[in-house]
Amino acid sequence: MILFSLILIPLLFAALLALAPAAQARSLAFLGMLTSSAAAVLAMLRFDWNNGAVFANEKTFPWLGELGIQLSVGADSVSMLMIALTALLGPICVVASRTAVTERHRTFFGWLLVLQAAMYGVFIARDLILFYICFEFTLVPMFVLINVFGSTNRKHASVKFFLYTFTGSVIALAGLVYVAKFNAELPVSATRESLAAMMQAGGTPAPGPGVWTFDIETLGRAARRMSSTEQAWVLLALMVGFAVKVPLFPVHTWLPLAHTEAPTAGSVILAGVLLKLGTYGIFRFAIPFVPAAFAEYAPLIAQLCIVGILYGGLICWVQTDVKKLVAYSSVAHLGFCVLGLAATNATGLSGSILYMINHGLSTGALFLCIGMVYERYHTRSMKELGGLAAKMPVWSTFMIFFTMASVGLPGLNGFVSEFMCLLAAFQASSAWGSSTTMVEGAMDAGLWGSAGASTVGATHGGLGPWYAAIAGIGMIVAAMYLLLMVGRVVWGPLVEPHGHGGHGGHGGHGGHGGHGHDAHGAAAGDHHDDHADAHGPLPADLTAREIGVLAPLAILCVVLGVYPKPLLATLEGPVNQTVQLIDSARSMGLQLEAPAHTTSPAQGGAPTQGLAQ
Amino acid sequence: MHATSILSTWAGLLPAQHEAAGAAAQVAGAVDGPAIAALAPLLPLLSFVLCGLCAAFKVRSKLPAWITVACLAASFAAVVATTLDLREAGAGSVMVTPLFDWINYSWGTEAGQHFRANFAFHIDSLTCLWMLFVTGLATLIALYASEYMSHDVGMGYCRFFAAFSLFVFSMACLVMGDNLVLLYLGWEGVGLCSYLLIGYFYKKPSAVAAAKKAFIVNRIGDLFLALGIMLCWVHFGSVEYREIFARVGPSLELLREGKVDQIPGIVQLIPLLLMVGAFGKSAQLPLYVWLPDAMEGPTPVSALIHAATMVTAGVYLIARTYPLFLLSEYALPIVGWVGALTALLAATIGMAQFDIKRIMAYSTVSQLGYMFCGLAVLGSVGAAAHVFTHAFFKAMLFLSCGAVMHGFAGQLDLRKLSGVAFMKGWGVVGIAMFVGCLNLAGFPVITAGYWSKDMILGDAFATPGMQAIGWILLLTAGLTAYYTFRVFFRVFVGPKHFEPGDELHAHDDHGHGHDDGHGGHGHAAGHAPSHADFHPHAPGWAINLVLGILAIAAFAAIVPLMTGGDNGPWLASMVDGSSAKYLGVAASQAAHAAGHGDGHAHATFFGYDAHKAMMVVSGVVGFIGILIAYLLHYAGRTTAARSKADSLLPAFGPLATAAQHKWYVDEIYDLLIVKPLWVISNIFALIDKYVVDGLVDFLGWAPRAIGRSLRPSQGGELHGYAIGMAGGIAVLVLIVLLVTF
Repeated sequence: MILFSLILIPLLFAALLALAPAAQARSLAFLGMLTSSAAAVLAMLRFDWNNGAVFANEKTFPWLGELGIQLSVGADSVSMLMIALTALLGPICVVASRTAVTERHRTFFGWLLVLQAAMYGVFIARDLILFYICFEFTLVPMFVLINVFGSTNRKHASVKFFLYTFTGSVIALAGLVYVAKFNAELPVSATRESLAAMMQAGGTPAPGPGVWTFDIETLGRAARRMSSTEQAWVLLALMVGFAVKVPLFPVHTWLPLAHTEAPTAGSVILAGVLLKLGTYGIFRFAIPFVPAAFAEYAPLIAQLCIVGILYGGLICWVQTDVKKLVAYSSVAHLGFCVLGLAATNATGLSGSILYMINHGLSTGALFLCIGMVYERYHTRSMKELGGLAAKMPVWSTFMIFFTMASVGLPGLNGFVSEFMCLLAAFQASSAWGSSTTMVEGAMDAGLWGSAGASTVGATHGGLGPWYAAIAGIGMIVAAMYLLLMVGRVVWGPLVEPHGHGGHGGHGGHGGHGGHGHDAHGAAAGDHHDDHADAHGPLPADLTAREIGVLAPLAILCVVLGVYPKPLLATLEGPVNQTVQLIDSARSMGLQLEAPAHTTSPAQGGAPTQGLAQ
Repeated sequence: MHATSILSTWAGLLPAQHEAAGAAAQVAGAVDGPAIAALAPLLPLLSFVLCGLCAAFKVRSKLPAWITVACLAASFAAVVATTLDLREAGAGSVMVTPLFDWINYSWGTEAGQHFRANFAFHIDSLTCLWMLFVTGLATLIALYASEYMSHDVGMGYCRFFAAFSLFVFSMACLVMGDNLVLLYLGWEGVGLCSYLLIGYFYKKPSAVAAAKKAFIVNRIGDLFLALGIMLCWVHFGSVEYREIFARVGPSLELLREGKVDQIPGIVQLIPLLLMVGAFGKSAQLPLYVWLPDAMEGPTPVSALIHAATMVTAGVYLIARTYPLFLLSEYALPIVGWVGALTALLAATIGMAQFDIKRIMAYSTVSQLGYMFCGLAVLGSVGAAAHVFTHAFFKAMLFLSCGAVMHGFAGQLDLRKLSGVAFMKGWGVVGIAMFVGCLNLAGFPVITAGYWSKDMILGDAFATPGMQAIGWILLLTAGLTAYYTFRVFFRVFVGPKHFEPGDELHAHDDHGHGHDDGHGGHGHAAGHAPSHADFHPHAPGWAINLVLGILAIAAFAAIVPLMTGGDNGPWLASMVDGSSAKYLGVAASQAAHAAGHGDGHAHATFFGYDAHKAMMVVSGVVGFIGILIAYLLHYAGRTTAARSKADSLLPAFGPLATAAQHKWYVDEIYDLLIVKPLWVISNIFALIDKYVVDGLVDFLGWAPRAIGRSLRPSQGGELHGYAIGMAGGIAVLVLIVLLVTF
């Protein structure tokens, strides 16, 4: 029930908020976020972290029973960690929007709450339809946030965001529904049949083969019995949907646009959680449903990741818009994240899940930092901003800190996951130890010595050292563009846009009609006696509220960088389980290719003779 | 280079089997280290936190400096205590002090299915040697900086000492970490601190650019280091030194039996990757370009980070993983050639520079080249000894230059300063500079620098196949003596003359770098910004004290080099007791013994014992260098700006100009790498906008056009999409239902 409340609480507060006066909207939203976060914390406290693979707090309510659709929720440690990230960023976004959002409070905060509910829903869903509804429903609030509260090109950005990701997910749905159909057409096993009949009497069909169901566990078991051709098609459908969301090259172009136009809170949620829906989807569906196909096409996916890492990174390097720079950096960073998944080994999956969390913290914080500057100067152009360290030392400290977290400096969170993703790609080569590897031609094949013994740390997989080496160049590129940003915006001679340098705080804030500037102008005089060039209602440097927004993220960056052990420990369960799925699928690969499926001992113990019929 | 022949020669020089087996047993049987060892890194970390708090509470006093000095001194004491503990445990023992788990997870029970990289400290004599001079020098330099940075008391002061403390913490992790990943943490950590401190004067675009360059160039090396670590993991199934050294056995056996070609290629590739990381951090070809620019940072930073400690991390890495380097046919010869060429190239550039701090920077690059050569010619003792002596005298040289810079408003041009040592209050600086120059030039017998350089030169000539490197180093030794004393004769002696630097103006108007109030000092205050009224600001007690201590220490560094207990000189026994010995030192000792015995395996210098010959030859070469500097830059010089050397320049024609322009290496890199990359990136950005995105827009255009005609109400209205979405799902579900039932 506690998990259900994660969806219900924000929705409830959203409804309250719609009825309440606009002046109360923000406090109500904050209360709602806090309440749902408290529920999340409660759920985490009750979670058995030592058994990360077990779905806890499972609860099923009958819903559209005749369609096999249920309101079924549950969370393993991966879900719990994603919930934790969501629960952290939600309240932060409300607090961060205090001065940024000056009108239509109810719309803004209401949709923010709805978004929160939908995101929780994605991570706790154990039913495909519930998952999909939540997955899709995240689009609507985000669309509103961008469309109404975005900057100049917001209409175009929001429509593109919506249509692009919507198209992708519909294709993913087609793949998922195909799996459900496949499952329903499987023969009902004897024990199952009686069980199903029994349950049907009670009104709820038991999920299982031969029953029309959307239970994720059941569908996963069924999907692994599909022929390799079917698996490949399902993988394609799922990957199209999830890759758009991640986003992977070449379906990433909605992201920079959406990020640049979105309000700060929108960007934070978008980068922090929404992108992770794609990687979470890959982890939760693409890999366990079609492990054989995923392992087979992993090199291709990894190649797309690497293109994204380098291509995205180099594009960052030539951006002049700070926000666009960070947005493109997400393309590069998420490339590392999916690379870890494509490595299909324990290091990679753990690293990738950590990456989801870490990227949410550091990039979310970078967007918050940029938003704070934007509120003061109303520009994101690096040509108009520079040397802010002289004026905003506290902000600059945070900015450099989060930049370093983003660069992957060891000791901060980004490093652990990035290193693990690269290491995973490096070791994931079935060619290791077989004496024809790596520096082919450069070294005598005989030099590689006896097979096996020389590579104890290798795992199965289709990647290998070259993948890690080329992706690793992304580490250098990341330093190039992020330090370029720091060098321009934080360091160097002070540059401020016109109307902000030296003289009074109520100069023209260009092109920002209708945001209540009159009030700011009046307040400016009282608030800042010693800040001659304060901007709007904000002092030159960060307020206590803004520090309070960034500090928790900074602390977590350090904690997760220095002591990721608890996370790694709890992820061992689900990750190792998933790796086993992949490895056994890989070892059965030949049998799957064979025309007769009768002999293969399929996953989940069920024989596959049904395929023959 | 005849790599194979060299290697087979080495194989002949290997110690007897039981010796190596004994070393392996020692490594495997590591005992628990003392808890006090953990204080060595943790106290600087505490200092970092406290300095950060000082910044948060806007402390406007010298408090951060005293916190730092106290913590670093305590850290030094912890290292001393650890060293004593280690001595008690006996020669060659290894202790491990675990702190807590870091990256630690498993996916099975077999070997290689458990990744473990913990916060644990590997303490052997190599660790202690490095930590002793790192923490010792850091304490002294922090004391020096308390005065040097006093114009920035306030925010800048806190920032400086926080980064300074963080640096010592990172360096301690680098040196003490018991696994390669923790080393990598320290490796990048010192890079960060270097970045923050080079960029200390963050308003100066040149400082910002230099900081960025340092970080990025280092990152290139770091990538290779990371790949080396990964390869290490894949091969050995561990990143912990103890495990690696325990598992390197089979390959060692092959090497000993001369079956070099059966050593797995993976093993041979590991050092090739690791060494690129070392080249980055230790500023060797082709990645040395960041170090001279790093002189944009405050001088104490240049002294500690960019001369004495951080840049020796590459030497440490190779010394630490020496057994791996010995297994590769190519690794050590490449290290040697890179080191030798870097030494020569940097020395030639150093000869032609006018900025004394840059000269010292190039000299550092050059001396680091020596250390790499020392490792390459199987003289890890010589390399470590040179690291040790160089740390003291180079730090002192930088601090002396810093005192000059501090006193003369940023003046560093050797054409604008003369006779500084004879000015009132500058005596200590002059003496310190003289001692430093003597050491760097390798003045015979009395200087530590002479002995440590000699070891490397001797080993180079003694090791078969490495004579060419020896000759390059010998030539470089002469150049070094010349450019070192060029600085001394121009700036510190001769007719008294000075022109203050441009920081004089900066103090009055546009606050060039020094941001937060420089009240405590007043060397510009009260003076009109004209050169006539400028009075050099002689160093105070802290600077003089530190320079005095270092001057003594630079001489005293001879003591551990030349004296010791039963196991030979202290320093040699410390290196021998660690992984840096393993084979290398034993091999060179074996070479030594062999040289005295039959003279076959041991190369000689024109028939003389290489080490003995070098004592004379390198001394003579050093003398010649000093003499030329005397003749060209001191004898008969009457002004600061000109010397006899100027009239010789035309004889060298374009060579002199090219050396002055640092052989245009920066320009070449810019043209070949940075510019093309910039163009490509811009092309990518355009492709992204017009091709990748354009295609999507085109695909989106057709259905939308249809949609528009079908549904006129559509226009970005939210409910339209929401309904559309719900409808879409409904349709899909319907289709599925129809198909199924």
